[in-house]
Amino acid sequence: MKNRLKVLRAERDWSQQALADRLEVSRQSVNAIETGRYDPSLPLAFRIADVFETPIEAIFLRD
Amino acid sequence: MTGTKERTTGRTARFWAGLLLGTLGAIAGLALSGAIDADTALVLMLVPVIQTIPLMRAAGRRRDGVAGGLCGKGEAQKRYTKRVALFTALYLLSFGLLTFATTESDPAFALRSVLAVLPGLAVIGIFWAVGRLIVEEQDEFIRMLVVRQSLIATGIALSAATVWGFLETADVVPHLDAYWVAVAWFLGLFVGALSNRIEYGSWGAV
Repeated sequence: MKNRLKVLRAERDWSQQALADRLEVSRQSVNAIETGRYDPSLPLAFRIADVFETPIEAIFLRD
Repeated sequence: MTGTKERTTGRTARFWAGLLLGTLGAIAGLALSGAIDADTALVLMLVPVIQTIPLMRAAGRRRDGVAGGLCGKGEAQKRYTKRVALFTALYLLSFGLLTFATTESDPAFALRSVLAVLPGLAVIGIFWAVGRLIVEEQDEFIRMLVVRQSLIATGIALSAATVWGFLETADVVPHLDAYWVAVAWFLGLFVGALSNRIEYGSWGAV
C-alpha cells in the first residue's frame, strides 16, 4: 500500500522522530510505514489521520 | 555540573560489552592454559555475570538517549532486558552449582534432580520474558517483529531437532542432549533478527 506520509511530514517540517512521538510509536515504525515495508493496523492508520488532520484515504492509497 | 553529568551518563554499553568479553576471554585463556582449574574458572565466571548489570544499565541509558533508541518506546523492552539479565545470571549460577556439585561429590538422587532442574527453569524464564515482551509491547510494528523473530527461531529449532533426531536414529550423528534445542532456538532468534533487518529494515527488540 502506498502512502503520503513523507510528503505530509515534510509539509509540517516534522522529523520521523517527531511524528513517532505524536503517534506514540517508535521511529522505526514510522520509517517502516513511510517506506511501504509495513502496513499499519486500522487503529494506527486512524491515529495517523488524526495527527495530520487529514482523511485516511488521503494518506493511504491503493497500489 | 560536569561531574553530575558524568555520573548520570556513565560508561557506554560498548565499554561494558568489551570489558565483559575481555573478562570471558581471560578466564577461558587461563582455564585452557591450565593456569586455573575448572572450579576456579566457575567461581571467576561470577565476574562476567555481575558485569552484565552495568552493561544492561548502559544499554538502557543509550536506548533512552537516542529518543526511541534501538526500537520502540522502550518500557516493555526495558522490562524484557532486566528479566533476561536476571534469568541469565540465575542460569549461570545454577549451571555452575550443578557442575560443581556433580564433579566434586555424588549428591543424592533427589538433590541431583533439583539441581538439574534449576538451569532449565532459568532458561524457561527467558522464554517467559520473550512472551511477556510480546504481550506488553505497545508498538505494533515492534511487536510484529518480535513475533516474526520468535516464529523463525521456533521453526529453526524444531526443524533442527527433528532432522537431528532421525540422523541420530540412523547412527549418522552422535547423541546430543535435548537442551541443545533451546540453544538452536536462541541461534534462531539471531536469524530472525537478521531476517527482520533485511525485510523490514529493523533488527527488532529481542
